[in-house]
Amino acid sequence: MITLKINGLEVSVEKGTTILEAAQFLGFPIPTLCHMEGLSPYGACRLCVVEIGEGEKTRLVTSCSYPVQEGLVVRTASARVVKARKMILELMLASCPQSKVIQDLAAKHDVRRQRFNQEYEDCILCGLCVRMCEEEMVAKAIGFRGRGEHRSIGTPFDIKSEECRLCGGCIYVCPVCTLRCTYTEPEKAVCGGCANLSPPCVEKNQFDDMMCYMDPCVACEIVKGKQQISEKKETKRKGAERHVSNTVES
Amino acid sequence: MPAVVVGVICWTRAGYPWSDQFVGSSIQEKGVAVSRLSSVSEFVEFRQRIQDDKKLQYDKPTLVVCAGTGGQASGSNDILRIIKRYILDRSLQTKVGLRVTGCQGFCEMDPFILVEPGRHLYPKLKMEDVPRVIEAAVGGFVDESLVYRDPHDKRQYHDQDEIPFFKKQKRTILGDNQRLDPIRIVNYIELDGYAATEKVFSNIDPDWIIEEIKKSGLRGRGGAGFQTGKKWELARASGNGAEQKYIVCNADEGDPGAYMDRSLLEGNPHAIIEGLLIGGIAIGATQGYIYVRSEYPVAIKHAIIALRQARDLGLLGTNILGAGVDFDIKIVRGAGAFVCGEETALIRSVEGFTGEPRQRPPYPIEKGIGGHPTCINNVETLANVPVIIKNGGEAYSRIGVPENTGTKIFSLVGKIQNTGLVEVPLGIKISEVVYDIGGGAPGGGKIKAVQTGGPSGGCIPARMFDLPIDYDSLVKAGSIMGSGGMIVMYEDTCMVDDAKYFMRFLKDESCGKCFTCRKGTQRMYEILDDVSKGEATMEDLDLLEELAHVVRDTSMCGLGQSAPNPVLSTLRYFREEYERHIKDKRCDAFVCKDLVGAPCQSACPLGTEAWRYVAHIGRGEYEEAYRVIREPNPFPSVCARVCHHPCEAKCRAGATGGAPVAIRALKRFVTDRIEPSTYKPLRQKWPDGAPPRVAIIGAGPAGLSAAHYLSLKGCKVTIFESEEEPGGMLTCAIPSYRLPREIIEKEIEALLDKNIKLECGVALGRDVEIDGLFEEGYGAVLLAIGAHKSKPLHLENEDLEGVYPSIEFLKAFNLREKQLAKGKVGVIGGGNSAIDAARMAVRLKEVDNVTILYRRTRDEMPAFGEEIEAADQEGIRIETLVTPVRIVGKNGRLAALECVRNELGDADESGRRRPVPIKGTEHVVDLDTLIVAIGEDSGIDAITPAKSSRLDITAWNTVRVNRATMQTNRPGVFAAGDVVRGPNTVVEAIADGKKAAVIIERFLKKEHLLQPVRPSLPEVYVEPVENEAALSAARSETPRAPAEWRKRNFAEVEVTLSQTEAGREALRCLRCDLEFAKGKEEKQNEIESGRQSA
Repeated sequence: MITLKINGLEVSVEKGTTILEAAQFLGFPIPTLCHMEGLSPYGACRLCVVEIGEGEKTRLVTSCSYPVQEGLVVRTASARVVKARKMILELMLASCPQSKVIQDLAAKHDVRRQRFNQEYEDCILCGLCVRMCEEEMVAKAIGFRGRGEHRSIGTPFDIKSEECRLCGGCIYVCPVCTLRCTYTEPEKAVCGGCANLSPPCVEKNQFDDMMCYMDPCVACEIVKGKQQISEKKETKRKGAERHVSNTVES
Repeated sequence: MPAVVVGVICWTRAGYPWSDQFVGSSIQEKGVAVSRLSSVSEFVEFRQRIQDDKKLQYDKPTLVVCAGTGGQASGSNDILRIIKRYILDRSLQTKVGLRVTGCQGFCEMDPFILVEPGRHLYPKLKMEDVPRVIEAAVGGFVDESLVYRDPHDKRQYHDQDEIPFFKKQKRTILGDNQRLDPIRIVNYIELDGYAATEKVFSNIDPDWIIEEIKKSGLRGRGGAGFQTGKKWELARASGNGAEQKYIVCNADEGDPGAYMDRSLLEGNPHAIIEGLLIGGIAIGATQGYIYVRSEYPVAIKHAIIALRQARDLGLLGTNILGAGVDFDIKIVRGAGAFVCGEETALIRSVEGFTGEPRQRPPYPIEKGIGGHPTCINNVETLANVPVIIKNGGEAYSRIGVPENTGTKIFSLVGKIQNTGLVEVPLGIKISEVVYDIGGGAPGGGKIKAVQTGGPSGGCIPARMFDLPIDYDSLVKAGSIMGSGGMIVMYEDTCMVDDAKYFMRFLKDESCGKCFTCRKGTQRMYEILDDVSKGEATMEDLDLLEELAHVVRDTSMCGLGQSAPNPVLSTLRYFREEYERHIKDKRCDAFVCKDLVGAPCQSACPLGTEAWRYVAHIGRGEYEEAYRVIREPNPFPSVCARVCHHPCEAKCRAGATGGAPVAIRALKRFVTDRIEPSTYKPLRQKWPDGAPPRVAIIGAGPAGLSAAHYLSLKGCKVTIFESEEEPGGMLTCAIPSYRLPREIIEKEIEALLDKNIKLECGVALGRDVEIDGLFEEGYGAVLLAIGAHKSKPLHLENEDLEGVYPSIEFLKAFNLREKQLAKGKVGVIGGGNSAIDAARMAVRLKEVDNVTILYRRTRDEMPAFGEEIEAADQEGIRIETLVTPVRIVGKNGRLAALECVRNELGDADESGRRRPVPIKGTEHVVDLDTLIVAIGEDSGIDAITPAKSSRLDITAWNTVRVNRATMQTNRPGVFAAGDVVRGPNTVVEAIADGKKAAVIIERFLKKEHLLQPVRPSLPEVYVEPVENEAALSAARSETPRAPAEWRKRNFAEVEVTLSQTEAGREALRCLRCDLEFAKGKEEKQNEIESGRQSA
């Protein structure tokens, strides 16, 4: 057993436990997007940073991947941690503003503004889907490609993977589009991003073949979303036309 | 029989280095038997045979040629080919030898040949010069015309070790690169190579090895500086005893500007192999890896050859030297990702996966390749190991300073005279590396900062160059040692652009696993890009800093943690440059394109569209050209003669080694032939009520310009001038041979109009007071009284007859035609005022000769280059590096001046090197007249009334103003020109006056004094004249009267260009403006394409 101190409380946990697990055991909330029980820790989203050490030599580490050490002193919500978390959430809002999960997290952490150039991406590259595919589904259909800002998730050469069994696990774990899979009233969907999302391993027209355990079903949602979008577009176009005719008359 | 020849000449290389035959054959040469050595004594005997063999040979001169990657790129392969052919053609095989080595470090001078044993260095050789070098080597003499000369002082050096670049270095590691051929193991063994292995194998004791390394204090040369001995100790203790362990040589060197690891692996691969072998034995590993990037083909080639040779000799493989030790090395080629230099990413890459870091702990020492303990060391660290083992750890620890022992190789690149690899003991000062070894900036430019540690490091400004180079000091200064890249930046390097460059590199090289590193670097780049485009706000700067701290805190590996360093360090030391980009929309280094536009235009303090009038001259539209010149500048003819033309200094035609367009001469050409009345300024009426009255004190260029522009706005201006005629410094200081009086009179005449009243002979403090002026009903007061008092030397006897301040001397002649100088004249100072005084003195009847005495070197003289040149032509002697210490008087008159000689010491605040007196060099110079020209200030007479009017004064006796609004501490009182700046140029004074007019107008209209600025970019399109030939023509120099004639009178020295010359010169313009101001056709196209896409 290893004894460590989290936010002043002493706790003994088994060797090999991560700080995140120990903190959760004590009931300290630590936000995270790329961590999921059952999948190996990855440390991509950096949201779960905590401050370790004492005195001048403290540093931030990701609690999801940092194994506990004897005598470790951890603070899960120090000023430095909170500042970092807020900045990370601001960066996430700047990239994936439509995600309900990110929106909620940002609200919860009192992030009130977003000062970067707004982007509209549908992936934060947390790697949950990749790990899901590899570790739980044992398929390895998808993986990371490229590096830096060109990094993306997909199949080799963007060719449909023969390893893929269309299980939908990748979509199920995705924090950016969770909304679509878990929200109970689809009409209340605020983002509609699901319809624009290209699931990494599957071509859209094959959704119908998917073994889907989700409610509401992804494929139905996609179809519904498509309809909604085309309707929206139609009304928008009409609105625009009206606007043009108005200006001409005036 | 070419085959036989190949066999005889020992230096021939096979064309296909990958072939087995080639690799095997290299050991056999020199007739030494090759078989696996099976004991230490056999190895010792083997080396003895090689060394004996060497002694038997005739000690012939040897040509040493650098054929590292850098050398090959500079053309050393051609040099080698010529040498070989020349030797074969003349059968010189027995008279001269050839050694092809890896990088020797002096890359600036590549391709070069070093001739041993005399160690003569022949740099930057052309192919046709090679035979002369060979003949000199064979004949045993030095070819004086080709041998190394210092680029600054042209001094000749016969011995390489005397050259300043080499003299201060301590080349324990790099030195061997010059002594051996990397693909010849016998060469290495002959130079006591594998002696450390011999020592280790004669009594195998890992603890002893670790103890020695610990004693040496060696720290990891990859950048982090972890104790190597400690690392090996941990690695040895790691694992369960029987487990497989690995040792890895990290040669994944990816920083822009760093190449010492490559050079070591290329130039001395056996040292690395030996280091790995010893390390392997120390930690108990049986497998080593060299992780090297594919972009280093020569290094890989040499490493492969060296490994094969070592295996053939039994220095690698199973049962090495019969001692029962197994160790072998594999080469792993990386695909060139920067992040793979990080150890956990490197391990992933060795395993065959994408190189991505993972969380530490567990450290590679516990869980590395395949989950086995792995020890990763840098190339340079491993190269140090044989040296330590051979000479003992204690001896090594005596090099450098405590905690930072040994030598470190830096690659000195960027804006530096001597680009190359330098090896210095740790603890040396940055200034020693940059100035003494590096030779300063090329062309004598001012060095601004160095970036250490590549993109992960930070910059250190010139004023901190006294900092010792060691791991801890650099970290404290906000940088890191890194792998040892040292990028030198000078005045034309923009620090924002620099940070942007590194951030672009990092955003591309971030692996992308961590969100903060991937997005953080991208966002930081975006903000920096905005700053460089002038689109950022001060809030963005705070955001940048905040983000940088978070990225540093929350990233997983070293790449992300150190990625913000370039931003944070430039923000820390060069924040004003960022603010200048954001607030003033200026890039003072003229790098950021979107702020600079056409460099000539933004370099001009007045914003004159030089490209535009030059274009008009090219088209023969001289009147249009005049209007372009006149609109921003009320003194076109004056500036056409005395402007220091910053436009030419920044001209792009001159940036790449060519000559800038002669813009000032072209301006002179136009102003000489067009009448001022051609330009009709736009006059406005004061919008409501009676026009306000403005009082301007001083009728110099600043005061007159302000008066002119205020008059155009409808204000009533009164100018008070203390002298009897207007013109200020134009009339009283600038000699008439540079600026004829009638030109000034004509120009001022054209400016005065019914709104301007000029009152001469009225001085501030004597005849008028600021308070009084306000009482009289003036709405605003502008102080433009200039700087008319020369600074004293503060030496005894300065009030003797014969010693004059330069302004007094110039004024006496210019205003009253009084000749103060006679006999032998000395002028102290290096500014324009000193040159003016000297050139004036040389024209006086009673003067015999004139000498200028300056305390620094000629490169550092603040006077304009062409003025110094003209002084030279007129026979004025310029003595540099001297400081006056005593004025010797005789009968109440000056008799002589005692001076002391200086040498250049450490850099001062401004980055220039401080002159330091050399003791015992005092000497006496006989003089009849001494003119002191070491700068001017406003002087007590002028500044006292200002002070008594409750104005703030600075320590330099200038009026303190808010630089942005030009307002003094009293509302409504403004100041412009030299009284604010101290002695400065005419064009700056005009610009100040012009700006003051704008501000005063805002003040009188009760508007905000500060309004947002926009970068001045070219807006008007002038159709270019197609003429390809003109672009390559030479610059038309301003014609000057012959020196002998002009020395005798005060007639104007410069002559105007002819119409043909001017036309040709104007067409040399590269038309930087066309990138911004688009033609009609292009605009039309853009609109159309826009329509189509819509």
